[in-house]
Amino acid sequence: MLAGILLHGFGQRYDLPIGLALYLFAAGGVVLISFVLVVLFAGEQVGAKAIAYPRRAVPWLVGVARSPWPLATGGTIGVLGLLTVVIAGFFGSANAFYNPAEYVVWIYFWAVTVILSGLVGNLWYLLNPWAAIYDVVARLVPVRPLWKLPEVGVWPAMFAYFAFACLELTSGMGSRPQIVALAAVVYSVITLAGMFMFGRNEWLEHCEGFTVLFGIIGRFGPFEAERDEGGAIRAVYVRPWGVGLLRPAATGWDRVVFVILMLSTLAFDGILSTPAWQDFNLALEPVWLPLGAWGFFFARTLGLLLLTVAFLLVFVAFMEAVIYLGQRKVDMVATVSAFALTLVPIALVYNAAHNYSYVVVSSQYLIPLLNDPLGKGWHLWPAVVGFKPSFALAQASTVWYAQIVLIVLGHVTAVYLSHLRAGERFRTVQRALLSQYPMLLLMIMYTMTSLWILAQPITRETG
Amino acid sequence: MSRTRALIVAAVLIVFIAAGGVLIYATRSHGGQNVTIDLTVTGGTKMNPTDSTAHQDDKVTINVTSDTDGEVHLHGYDIPFEAKAGQTVSHTFTADKTGNFLIEWETTSTELGHLVVT
Repeated sequence: MLAGILLHGFGQRYDLPIGLALYLFAAGGVVLISFVLVVLFAGEQVGAKAIAYPRRAVPWLVGVARSPWPLATGGTIGVLGLLTVVIAGFFGSANAFYNPAEYVVWIYFWAVTVILSGLVGNLWYLLNPWAAIYDVVARLVPVRPLWKLPEVGVWPAMFAYFAFACLELTSGMGSRPQIVALAAVVYSVITLAGMFMFGRNEWLEHCEGFTVLFGIIGRFGPFEAERDEGGAIRAVYVRPWGVGLLRPAATGWDRVVFVILMLSTLAFDGILSTPAWQDFNLALEPVWLPLGAWGFFFARTLGLLLLTVAFLLVFVAFMEAVIYLGQRKVDMVATVSAFALTLVPIALVYNAAHNYSYVVVSSQYLIPLLNDPLGKGWHLWPAVVGFKPSFALAQASTVWYAQIVLIVLGHVTAVYLSHLRAGERFRTVQRALLSQYPMLLLMIMYTMTSLWILAQPITRETG
Repeated sequence: MSRTRALIVAAVLIVFIAAGGVLIYATRSHGGQNVTIDLTVTGGTKMNPTDSTAHQDDKVTINVTSDTDGEVHLHGYDIPFEAKAGQTVSHTFTADKTGNFLIEWETTSTELGHLVVT
């Protein structure tokens, strides 16, 4: 019955699971490298010095950052992307494989923009189509927020992100272009209305899921800007990847849950194709099958919720151990928030490893569609029709190699950042080191989970 | 991070990454055989066997027999089998790409099975 429903928002992948030997090699390597890191950095600094990092000013970037062009260009691309999703989604082919809307949302926005933002910096800041539309309108007519946004933290943004994850992973609707377009329209209306009613930045920073998400991802990137009191950019620096996560950030359970959700949605995406999930799903079939399409949605959303709660409980339990061993009276929420950010590298590399074949192969299938994007028999660009996607970067050995290297690099970065963070939070070197053992164990567990998922045989839905 | 420590971490990482590369590229399978796969499609919804395997660089011949008219599509390699009820359609190709490739009943986008090339 469900055989026709694609597993993901967009269902073309050519990955093979990594073999057992490689899995053991990578897992062993992760433990060994973690151990080396801990031994090497025993006796590092404590206090504010611990999280100081090198950075270099790039004067010519100040001019670029101050000019209106990056925002104008990014905004134009963002608005065109949004229009593509809506127009192609409503009027194009009903088959995800032949509809550009699906490519724009699930590959170019969801996989590519996230990965690039980790590599370069917060691209969503430039691309956000709703911010661009608002800015154009605000230029033409004076707008003033009607109400003040109550103290909501980033909870609304978290719900928006969760809803998006549900569209992709649990609804079974992500591969239906019309539904995707409808979701884009609804979310556009909500976001624009929110910005006009509560103020542009107030809404974006608290209620717009992608702004909050890319804000976190952008911290991993190598650029940082310093602003003066008036908000104008004073200086632009380059820094090593990852260290931006050590900078002061807003704290609160909402932020912690958001980071955990980043990890759990990605893990859930992988888990969906494992035999373990298939068995779980099969066991629950008597419960959800009578509910029809809603049952399918219900079973998966429940799975995603349970996984998120499990990740959160495990993280908080480990943090209790960290704080206990650190032996210092610290503000629990502030400390948990600060350590949560050190998990971001693991989420990012897992995203890159998981979406690798989407980005290098599936993304190319958009090119032949440019001739006839809406499937109406047009001949806009006949030259691209015969385009055959290149699989050069998708040989199994290359994919495995890229995945393992990425996961290990992310793991090393996370362990290192967490170590620096412990140095800053706890009073003595010995305490900081001791406090790091639970954190280290947790990170090894997360990394092993990612590797384990990548090593799972890909199974099929039986209908 | 002091310079020596940074160097040690870099050295450990390089050794690990190099060893991984050797392990992956040295143990990959070498094909080159002739492989024939017979697939039977029933009603445009079921295929027997659902999953077939080949090694990279094998010369693969797929014979599709269907009891209904329609297109059976091997994704990735992008090979269409224009099936006519009761007749067998064959295509031969070199399995130069590795991966888990979807075989679909194209008209209804129904998943029939997979060709796995290792």
